[in-house]
Amino acid sequence: MDYLFDILLISLSAALINNFVLYYFVGICPFIGVSRQVGMAVGMGSAVTFVMTVAVFLSWSITTLILVPGAPLSSWVAGFFLPAEQAAAIDMTILTYIVYIFSIASSVQFVEMYVRKFYPSLYKTFGVFLPLITTNCAILFACLTVMSNIVGVENPEEAWDLGRALALGFFGGVGFTIAIVIMAGIREELDMCDVPKVFRGTAITLIVGGILAMAFMGFTGVDSGIRVAVTGAP
Amino acid sequence: MTQAQTSENGKMPAPRKGGHLFQAWLVLLLAVIFGACLSAVHVSLSGRISDNKLNESLEKIPELIWGGMKQGAPPDQASIDIAPGRIAVTSGQRTTYYPVFRVNAEGALAGWVLKAAGQGYAGKVELLLGLNPAGDKITGLFVLGQSETPGLGNKISSPEWLAQFAGQRTAAPLKVVKGGEPAPGVIDAITGATISSRSVTGIVNRAIGETRGLLTPEQMKLTERSQ
Amino acid sequence: MMANLPTPMERFVQGILPENPVYRQFLGLCPTLAVTNGLKQAMTMALAVGVVLLCANTIVSLIRNLLKPHLRIVVFTLTIATFVTVVDRVLAAYMYQMSKTLGPYIPLIIVNCIIICRCEVCASRQSVGTAAADAIGQSIGFGLALASIATVREILGTGTLAGFQVMPDSWPAWVVMVLPPGAFMTFGLLVALVNWIDSIRRKSERRG
Repeated sequence: MDYLFDILLISLSAALINNFVLYYFVGICPFIGVSRQVGMAVGMGSAVTFVMTVAVFLSWSITTLILVPGAPLSSWVAGFFLPAEQAAAIDMTILTYIVYIFSIASSVQFVEMYVRKFYPSLYKTFGVFLPLITTNCAILFACLTVMSNIVGVENPEEAWDLGRALALGFFGGVGFTIAIVIMAGIREELDMCDVPKVFRGTAITLIVGGILAMAFMGFTGVDSGIRVAVTGAP
Repeated sequence: MTQAQTSENGKMPAPRKGGHLFQAWLVLLLAVIFGACLSAVHVSLSGRISDNKLNESLEKIPELIWGGMKQGAPPDQASIDIAPGRIAVTSGQRTTYYPVFRVNAEGALAGWVLKAAGQGYAGKVELLLGLNPAGDKITGLFVLGQSETPGLGNKISSPEWLAQFAGQRTAAPLKVVKGGEPAPGVIDAITGATISSRSVTGIVNRAIGETRGLLTPEQMKLTERSQ
Repeated sequence: MMANLPTPMERFVQGILPENPVYRQFLGLCPTLAVTNGLKQAMTMALAVGVVLLCANTIVSLIRNLLKPHLRIVVFTLTIATFVTVVDRVLAAYMYQMSKTLGPYIPLIIVNCIIICRCEVCASRQSVGTAAADAIGQSIGFGLALASIATVREILGTGTLAGFQVMPDSWPAWVVMVLPPGAFMTFGLLVALVNWIDSIRRKSERRG
């Protein structure tokens, strides 16, 4: 019960309260560039969600199993060359960022192959965006958030397990999709409005994004409120 | 562009089989070189980085133990000895570890500093809590990290508000009131930031409650400086 | 050889205003919005991006004749990720508080489109001197853009500039400026301003 409650709070936080686009400013490039039509926005959002989940799975596994000091695989391999205590203290976290970006690139390749094989019509519609997802800040940001909840924690028991990591990855993507679809809907309406010449294009999108961010600020404190209501303690 | 293409067509392309690894020689070579650079960076800087992390807390400790009490001058800097460690708190099947610092001055125990964390209004709040040697009085409170609303909740970091905690007894949990006067056992909440104020007080109460009776040199496990 | 590739001086000057990475190319928008709530953070980020861009451009330019077309993105990514790790560690070692403030946005330099774009467009085709000039020019442009946004947000949002009190004490700080909505709106208004200046300049050029 405790665990499910934790997952619920992580999901709510990733999707709405600390929305990746409107609070953490990651994934801005597709937010401004791709959000012209709702159909395309939904496609982009689903692709990002899929890739984010796979990428978070890969990065959690590699971090927990290989990179952190005392990780099972690295200390087992090092045990062949070094005495046991030194093998247990092997710290490969310096390689984190390189490993993450290449696992993201691999996830994108995997998703691209999957979509091309099983949903060819979908691939034709938005297949050109898939390679671009590699440089989407949101995916790397999700992996980094998972990392910061494993590598720097004081209590080894509080290090995130796979369930929490996947919850963050999936619902972070859902939050991204929500933001980008709302923006696409607004922009479809904006096309029929008389926007002043200097604001057309990126400027008006950013200002609308600001108003959206203000709206989403209304969600602040919802998670601490739920926590107080359910557990009775802040 | 065309020149590059014709030169590629002019040369006979290497056979594809077995050519992949060969074609990737540059990537592999770069990987080895960069790996060596990164190892060098890690070896030379990781000690400094973990020291920075520790010093963040260590710098604040003299002020936490002696600053709030305003009685007499703090002892000579050279005689202060701070030992970092952990205290294990077991409740049921879960064991939580509280980072703790045992502060000695002029050879005798001068106080304890606990690091506690919890959920604030908008994010995680990390605190350093100073206690007297017996653990029954708070000597100071410092906010290490918070992400509360700027202008409202982030006033929990202001020394004026935190000064209310200095001198409070720990026998009973502290209560938060709105618009009241600072009094023993009572913390006045920040106007417009009641939830942030309640969160900080809750974290303090919980830390004191969970480590009650455990703040002794025997219970504390010393940690290595590098960890 | 292709005679119409820009010279080092042209690359340098283009990067500052005409081909400004933020206001003209709209690349690297994530740090632009995220770290501009204070001038100090903005300048540290611009410096970090500048260092990574310079190193990456130099290395890529040195090995540009060895790059296979289908592996070049891998090489770019590997180089950039390595330099970002180094910069991140150096910041954590020597400017710990700033490193904590900037948080996850330093490693996000790896996917900053500016760097990959400059490697692709300039460094993989031109000599080391030109690539370095391009890197410095683009970094100055990026720094100027960040400074413009950070100045507005910090002065209006907290009344200070780089920590120094600029506004009188009676100024009610517009807290929204240092929060996400303020970032979006400030940047949107500044983009509109740049468009307006540009349209006036083009009108006067056409007339004159």
